[in-house]
Amino acid sequence: MKKFIFFIFVILFSSKSFAVVTIDITRGNLEPLPTAISNFYIDNPEKFSEKMKALKLEENLPKVIKGNLMRSGLFYVLDNKSYIQQPKLSHLKPRFEDWRLIKAQIMVSGKLKIDEKNRLRVEFRLWDVVSAKEIEGLALFATPSSWRRIAHIISDKIYQRLTGEEGYFDTRIIYVAESGPKTQRIKKLAIMDQDGANNKFLTLGNELVLTPRFSPNGKMVTYMSYFKNLPRVYLLNIETGIQEVVGDFPGMTFAPRFSPDGKKVIMSFARDGNSDIYTMDIDTRRVEQITSNPAIDTSPSFSPDGRFIVFNSDRSGFQQIYVMRSDGRGVKRISRGKGLYGTPVWSPRGDLIAFTKINKGKFYIGVMRTDGTGERLLTQNFYQEAPSWSPNGRVLIFYRETASGKKGQGASANLWAVDITGYNEVKIKTPTDASDPSWSGLLSK
Amino acid sequence: MFRSLSLSIIFHVGIFAITFFTLPFIVKKPIDVPPIISIDLIQISEKTALPFAPKAKEIIDKIKEEKEKERVVTKQAPPKIVKKEKQDAVPMPDQIKKKKPKQTDKQNPEEIKDEIRQSSEFEKKELFDPNKIAALIDKSKEESATINKKESLEITQDQDSTVSLDKGLSITQEDAIKAQIFKCWNIPLGLPYNEDLTVRIRLKLNKDGSILSSEVLDHVRMNRPGQGFYKVLAESALRAVRLCNPLKMPATGHDKWKDLQLNFDAKEMLKG
Amino acid sequence: MLTKNIRNFAIITVLGFLVSACATGGKRSAEDWYTGSDTVKFLASGVPDRVFFATNKSSVHSAAKETLAKQAAYIKSSGISVVIEGHADERGTREYNLALGERRANAVRDYLMSQGVSGGKITVISYGKERPVNPESSRLAWSQNRRSVTIKAK
Repeated sequence: MKKFIFFIFVILFSSKSFAVVTIDITRGNLEPLPTAISNFYIDNPEKFSEKMKALKLEENLPKVIKGNLMRSGLFYVLDNKSYIQQPKLSHLKPRFEDWRLIKAQIMVSGKLKIDEKNRLRVEFRLWDVVSAKEIEGLALFATPSSWRRIAHIISDKIYQRLTGEEGYFDTRIIYVAESGPKTQRIKKLAIMDQDGANNKFLTLGNELVLTPRFSPNGKMVTYMSYFKNLPRVYLLNIETGIQEVVGDFPGMTFAPRFSPDGKKVIMSFARDGNSDIYTMDIDTRRVEQITSNPAIDTSPSFSPDGRFIVFNSDRSGFQQIYVMRSDGRGVKRISRGKGLYGTPVWSPRGDLIAFTKINKGKFYIGVMRTDGTGERLLTQNFYQEAPSWSPNGRVLIFYRETASGKKGQGASANLWAVDITGYNEVKIKTPTDASDPSWSGLLSK
Repeated sequence: MFRSLSLSIIFHVGIFAITFFTLPFIVKKPIDVPPIISIDLIQISEKTALPFAPKAKEIIDKIKEEKEKERVVTKQAPPKIVKKEKQDAVPMPDQIKKKKPKQTDKQNPEEIKDEIRQSSEFEKKELFDPNKIAALIDKSKEESATINKKESLEITQDQDSTVSLDKGLSITQEDAIKAQIFKCWNIPLGLPYNEDLTVRIRLKLNKDGSILSSEVLDHVRMNRPGQGFYKVLAESALRAVRLCNPLKMPATGHDKWKDLQLNFDAKEMLKG
Repeated sequence: MLTKNIRNFAIITVLGFLVSACATGGKRSAEDWYTGSDTVKFLASGVPDRVFFATNKSSVHSAAKETLAKQAAYIKSSGISVVIEGHADERGTREYNLALGERRANAVRDYLMSQGVSGGKITVISYGKERPVNPESSRLAWSQNRRSVTIKAK
């Protein structure tokens, strides 16, 4: 009977449509997008000083862009040795067949110029080689010394245009630089560009420093230090170098983070064997107690709208992840699987919570939805923990330690990053061993 | 004695004060915060329409006219422009050589015979497949609601052909096309898989399988704010179609498959 | 025939016990505190300076109580002030381990006070997993690192 009715419908409507054949394309390849980045060309080289010429921006600017795009795992940048067309022409009028020959689907070209005000003007164009058209064209101005930031901003624009998502390349990472024997580690605060360039140390290493975090505007850092053998949370202004102890707590404060509006520091305060979560308003100095439970409550992290806090507590007897409202009410456990859970961090997109999981002697970095469902483990290792989100909520940076031998040999700590799909695990280069990384927001915001 | 004592006290207090105020445990290296870059977002739209060389412009205009008359616009157009500009040496013979191998593939008579035989069997099956018929119904509803003038022209043309439930392509032929497109389609890896992101592309094909025209059916959606993901997916689908040009199609039955609609849906692949 | 069945039944029962023993294997670690003397130093002659803990636990077991009783006696008689350090092994997240170290140090402090030591003589500090005494990645090393050390205040 049903089939008969179908027939009637088809005969009634088919007169208009039948000749178009419809095919569903539900598969493709998940290869990174083949991209070519041409060297940039210099429009008025006579205006470039010797110092600027030595920077070799025409090569190095594209190199930074290449590094960013490759590290994201979403692009495959072809070796420029195979490029046929010269930089100047690829920017003015690319011969798309030349680029198609080497199998590029996207091409980036650029032009450098010193303008009348002695600023560096960088113009870049993004070409869809297959469809033979330009899909983005922008000019950026800056002082020559900020050329790396221009490369990162260009990378973000390319990333956004081709994935639909905001980029994360114009950012910095703060972390703890480690050295020395495992029993007497020397730890210093360090800050660097997200691609490892411009590494700078912020402390001397005379006392232990741990778990630094950026403020939302990237200008302040909160961290824990054992200065004078008193473990406390500190606030550091990166620009002025001035720092201060947070609050006047009569005991250890640790695990500090900023609230999303940058106005408060949230942390744990330990006393008499009990650790609870407290906040302190940076301006008014007002301290508020958020949890009040004999269990260990630590690793607090605000949701991006500031209404909720996810944290780590062993009130059930074992380390698990809980969510509560920002006033401390409505505590709900969200971690469900077997094992121990720790270091929860709320994604800047608000949709996921990243965490560390320990089960049967193995350490995992994973993500789950904010109600605890959809738990996915992204990577497994002998020891790894403390994920931190990129500002677009797509990449997690964390650290790993290797197992060490009888005398501590073979011990090393390094920063790693992984995409939330679990693909594309990359090691982040640092000048020394490194741990406790934290990602800043986009600097250009 | 008192003088030396008081001097000593003053100096001691002074030293304490100095040490107290300098808090030497922090290296006060103010980080050079890079000066804020003023970004001039010139949408280089004036510059994107790059002025072609004078002779080239003539050729491009000529081609544009031809396109409007819906004549065949082959891939050979761009190379012609380049040759006349004489900017870089383009070896002509190579260009031509590349065209030949692609055409010979289709001239294999044995392959075609098999496909024809199979298609008659499968077409019968399709007549009674309720799912496929449901698909036809949905399609017809969409197309009757379209505002696009061009599309309505096409539809009236089609009405001339006989009413038939003949889909135009056998499953094998369909799979052959799918396989080609699968290879050419680079799916953007960052897309969310829980949104409705199906891109429908309407193709018109020549007898040799080369693409006469391609268009995204929901191209208005591409430029709407907040549809960034859709635009990205649509552009990747267009690239896939162009990379696969010309498609390997059966040597006969052009009328049956000259109008193709490809529905690009990345949901399965993105779910992972 | 009957004996065969009995034999099979016996085999299955034995295997069943073996399996259930494995299932409760996790509980074994509840008693994995260090019982050796390799890393132990002395607060004073005959007074060990440290006690050890089971994984993820901060409770003071009976062997530890013995040591702490000696410490308490010494502290009271000598009148010294002490700092109690709490430590954890490397097999946990850093921030939780800071809290766990603090809990362990306080467990020791609570016991010493229960033995008559005045609270004013005791300060507590946690080092989490930052200062292991044995750098090796092995169960033995980890058990040696899960400790609370009593040192004379400066």
